[in-house]
Amino acid sequence: MTRTQAGTKSHSGAAALVALALTSVALPAAPALAAGKMTISTPQDPGSWDPVDTFLVQWAAVATNVFDGLTYRGPDLKLVPGLAESWEELDEGKRIRFKLRQNVKFHNGEPFNAEAVKFTFDRLLGEQGAKGPQRSNYTAIESVEIIDDTTVDMKLKAPDPVLLTKLAGYGAMIVPPKYIQENGEDNFNLHPVGTGAFKFVSYAPKVNIALAANPDYWGGAPKLSELDYRFITEPATAVAELQAGRVDLVIPPTIPIGMLPVIEADSNLQIVSVPGPTVDALRFNTRDGITADPRVRKAIIMAVDRATIVQSILAGQGSEIANFQGALSFGYDPELKPLPYDPEGAKKLLAEAGVKPGSTLQIDIRGNDTTMNEVTQVIASYLQMVGITATIKPYETNVLLNDIIPQGKTGAMFQQKWGGWTFDYDNTAYSMYHSGEKWNPYEKDAELDRLLESQRPLTDRAERERILKDIGKYTAEKAYEVPLYNTNAIYGVSKKVKGFIAPPDNRLKLTDVTVE
Amino acid sequence: MVGFLIKRLLQAIFVVIAITLLVSFAVRLTGDPAVTMFQGGGSMTEEDLMRIRVALGTDQPFFVQYMNFLKGLVTLDLGKSFTGGTPVSRLIGDALPATLMLAFISMAVSIVLSIPLGIKAATSKGKGVDQAIRIFSLLGLSFPNFWLALMLVLLFSITLGWLPPSGMGGVESYIMPAVTMGVILTATNVRLVRTAMLDTLNAQYIMVARAKGLSESKVLYKHALRNCAIPLITYFGLQFGGLLGGIVVIERVFNWPGMGSLAFDAVGARDYPVLQAVITVLSLLIVGINLLVDIAYGLVDPRIRTE
Repeated sequence: MTRTQAGTKSHSGAAALVALALTSVALPAAPALAAGKMTISTPQDPGSWDPVDTFLVQWAAVATNVFDGLTYRGPDLKLVPGLAESWEELDEGKRIRFKLRQNVKFHNGEPFNAEAVKFTFDRLLGEQGAKGPQRSNYTAIESVEIIDDTTVDMKLKAPDPVLLTKLAGYGAMIVPPKYIQENGEDNFNLHPVGTGAFKFVSYAPKVNIALAANPDYWGGAPKLSELDYRFITEPATAVAELQAGRVDLVIPPTIPIGMLPVIEADSNLQIVSVPGPTVDALRFNTRDGITADPRVRKAIIMAVDRATIVQSILAGQGSEIANFQGALSFGYDPELKPLPYDPEGAKKLLAEAGVKPGSTLQIDIRGNDTTMNEVTQVIASYLQMVGITATIKPYETNVLLNDIIPQGKTGAMFQQKWGGWTFDYDNTAYSMYHSGEKWNPYEKDAELDRLLESQRPLTDRAERERILKDIGKYTAEKAYEVPLYNTNAIYGVSKKVKGFIAPPDNRLKLTDVTVE
Repeated sequence: MVGFLIKRLLQAIFVVIAITLLVSFAVRLTGDPAVTMFQGGGSMTEEDLMRIRVALGTDQPFFVQYMNFLKGLVTLDLGKSFTGGTPVSRLIGDALPATLMLAFISMAVSIVLSIPLGIKAATSKGKGVDQAIRIFSLLGLSFPNFWLALMLVLLFSITLGWLPPSGMGGVESYIMPAVTMGVILTATNVRLVRTAMLDTLNAQYIMVARAKGLSESKVLYKHALRNCAIPLITYFGLQFGGLLGGIVVIERVFNWPGMGSLAFDAVGARDYPVLQAVITVLSLLIVGINLLVDIAYGLVDPRIRTE
């Protein structure tokens, strides 16, 4: 409240200008680039730094530097030891025993031990976790038992093949018990403490979060001394900051395809991009109208030349997909080929299905997705060539996601953008195709439900992968969506930044990065 | 005077209730914040969504939620943001001064520019100077403000490197946002001052003032300006209120951490407590400014004071 009062007072006249001038004399804007400091532009403030509170990748882009999990997964997407030095599966996958790293301390000096691990998961699965979304990802865990100070057993209700990956991020980040108990949950949201390579320094909601190097980091002290994440939503503003040299790195999803030439034309900057988890598809309303007929759906897929779209509209920053996953996803099938671009074949199929030339359909998209706006316009003209007139209906993103799709109020086609950070096809397929799921308003398919459920508890990777591939084949065969492309995660980087490896999943760990 | 203030207070309460009721109700028609929180997660069940709704309080009927909000207002507890749980009072406490400061400086820029320019245009009506000022004003009115902002950034931040392209910091960070807003306001205000001045300059008491041999600046600024101040104050007052609402675009472009950005994000995230609080504070401000305008009438025009 004191700040409100100060503000109200200061707007009352010329005093404001004087006050302003004084502030700026006392506190001149710090030069953006002190030695060893890196400034990062991120498009969203998650509002809380507590691991149980959010699914936002923008949380992970910061928090990966503050917290550690029992396991770690870096930009190569390989799972390696984190705070656990090793682990073994017992009781046929229903119990995992972790050997913990020793002599690790939280940023507040509190020791990391079995107690902290137990506290973390009790909290996630208990009352505090129930208030946030993360818990639903870890419901396979029944309990954590302390064996000794450096050994814990994680008891599972059922084996979860993706669990070790999930332990590398988000809700499973290990948190300090004493700190949270003494200072309260509300404090922890705004003043996070972990074991990570950087310590929390300050957070101004909607403005920035600053971190400083943790010289005692168990993985070796980071090379940078400071990180400053600024929340900048507007792409043009973020790019201007990058060009002005006040920001060293702009993380995705910020830079739209249309702005790539601006960065490429600047000799101080470069674009670094990697295939990310995000795939775009136009899904079908398989319940009503002409798209209830699988022949029509296949015809629509065949009418669209996706290779051209990827080359000309995405500027090559993406790759075609055959079903709702990219090449990095577990369950990806390189053998599976998408239906070919074949407008003549499409016309034949449409005639067969009794769809008359001049039929109309509606495509629902996110209005603020500039790339998708262009893509759907091109798709509409492809459809025109096979005799279907498409109208594009842009929605405000959350209206589309929270209302139109879950309530089954879409047009014949609707945009869905998806990508789980675990890079496991189960995450997508289960949410999109299992009966009763929020994102599956139209289909009830017992065979598909059976397949989806059958792979969930399997710890046999090969067997599980085979079933996931079957699911992929099945959905492609049923033509539930027009699979479009897997987009790259695009980073705008200053050439002063050295040693930066772009993570596909936005989980940016900046331990080895330097800024000249 | 006391009766007048009580009337205004009741009016303010009515405005706040009417506006927040409308906004709170309408935003709840646009989807479930619990689903928003799950975006990026995997499969979600109705049970998952329900426990989030319970935590947020959105499982309650609308009327109960709204009464809780009003109760919170009375006890000055604005609740917590749905995104992350930051206390709303802290978010407003940070954002309000940022917006007020920017709006105030923009207004100041505009008043300092538009009054002398408007007077100049009025006194040289039909001449070259007048034409030039009117063309400038037309140009200013036609610029979309975000475009002007982007051009300024391109020139002063990227090409010349003189000013920071965004963010709130020292004095230099205020220049571009305030100039962008100020220039656009000036374009309107110049025309207003010119018209008001032209009416006044034809009045007989101006002729008398001139006949007395007063200096031209005394005639213009003491006699003429003061007499045409009423419509100007009304307009500037209303404009300041409008400015608070219309500042969203400028705050976005310059990444200014003010009320506009806060409201924009809150709408996007279906963050009801933040949105309701922003709307309440802004409507109270606008009511308050109107009150100040009424009081200012009395200061410039003794006839109103005595009534």
